[in-house]
Amino acid sequence: MNNRFVINYAPGSTPIHKLNGATKVVGFIALTVAIIATFDFRVMLGIFLFCMACIASMKPNWKPIAFMFAFLFVMNGIIGSLLVLIVSPGSGLTKTGMEQIFWSTASGRFYLSWELLWYAFAMFFKRVASLASAVLFVLSITPSELAAGLNAIHVPYKVCTIVSLAFRTIPDIARDFTDIKNSMQMRGVELEHVSLGKKLKQYIMMLVPLLMSSFAKVENISNSMDLRSFGKCKGRTWYSENPPAKGDYIARGVIALIFAWCVFYIVFFRNIHAPIHDFWCPWVPKEISGYWF
Amino acid sequence: MENKSLAKKFLGEWSTKTIVAIAIGAALYGVLMVYGSIPVFTNTYLSSAMIVPVVVGALFGPIPSMITLLVGNCLADLIGGWGFWFDWSVGNGFLGLFVGLLPVYGADIKNGIFKVKHMIIYIICCLVGNALAFGVVTPIMTSLFYSADLEITFLQSFASGISNTAVLVIVGLPILVILSKRYASRTNLKEEPEEE
Repeated sequence: MNNRFVINYAPGSTPIHKLNGATKVVGFIALTVAIIATFDFRVMLGIFLFCMACIASMKPNWKPIAFMFAFLFVMNGIIGSLLVLIVSPGSGLTKTGMEQIFWSTASGRFYLSWELLWYAFAMFFKRVASLASAVLFVLSITPSELAAGLNAIHVPYKVCTIVSLAFRTIPDIARDFTDIKNSMQMRGVELEHVSLGKKLKQYIMMLVPLLMSSFAKVENISNSMDLRSFGKCKGRTWYSENPPAKGDYIARGVIALIFAWCVFYIVFFRNIHAPIHDFWCPWVPKEISGYWF
Repeated sequence: MENKSLAKKFLGEWSTKTIVAIAIGAALYGVLMVYGSIPVFTNTYLSSAMIVPVVVGALFGPIPSMITLLVGNCLADLIGGWGFWFDWSVGNGFLGLFVGLLPVYGADIKNGIFKVKHMIIYIICCLVGNALAFGVVTPIMTSLFYSADLEITFLQSFASGISNTAVLVIVGLPILVILSKRYASRTNLKEEPEEE
């Protein structure tokens, strides 16, 4: 059950782990903006490789990461692309500007073109790049650093507390959940091989104690937080709020460059010289796609 | 309890208790999303996680319920290991707002008030919330962020909208009834007026 967790609860030792929480949060935002802004495969590839290089530098456990990418491949790469091919085969033309059909049914309702395949691939790759940036972010940060970092970019600290507290309670609740499930099954609650109506009823029987016990915790935690004067002042300090070190200034320089590039890209390439068709495709001439190069 | 203004019911009280409840709700949502899916047929699952915002909404109000869903969705994406899907998180947050409207229209689970009238309004809220969240918000976000085909996004969100509504009604209603009964049995004592 725990082998799929990718959240870090203890700080790591590599240079990226050691960065300030605020640096990591801002960096993640910069990468996300960059990925959302572009439909150019070359740019996405660049961002993807950058993220993967950073991930590799943290020497992570690759198993859960491989699982994440495999899941994305099945959900988006296979099922999502199949949906595109079935529902709207014409999107190759509308998204890239050309259509070279190499297979079609007799009625012409379903057909495949090289551009359609490219569009499906590029759309999938956009998800891959955004997953890579998310993995990078998650691997590098701990819950308390996340809270401190969010607060540093002026998110209200009560919201930051929600985030870090939620992170902390996940293992507890996961344990409660298995405990309740096991003890219910010990008492003869059958969750498999029963009719649907009965199954739903059993699940409800299982969820009620989980909900009750979880929300019973609320009282305890909030009382002890109140006793420690939570929410009495306008701000608060964070346990893992470190002053920026040398590595932070380097990383922030890189992030500033990414942001500057995003602004330039959005203003110049997405608005002033906006391409006629969203997706860049290697064999579509630039007169048709509207891309500059 | 009755003299609270509508706006206050809408926003919920931002006490320490609410904050902790949102955090726990989000964690609960994350865990249930990943481990608590109910197998219906061989390959179809109903996610029991959707009842968490209902409970948070019932006890604390719509805005806490919305934040629970927003944070919970990001957490579920994290521990489930399927990458971030912000477009869906935003849509889900929107849904939370509608599902958590319970106190606004007078259902008071904490004092055991949950009548047939409230049930009907609750079901309508679920339907409207799902239609808006997955018929409008999520598809727009997806096509903006990922330039996906609108038709396909509508298809996908239609499917999840239906399964969400199913969970909200089939699982959510009985749980609300059970919770309100449990709370009702505890509240034969008169509550003292709260000191602010």
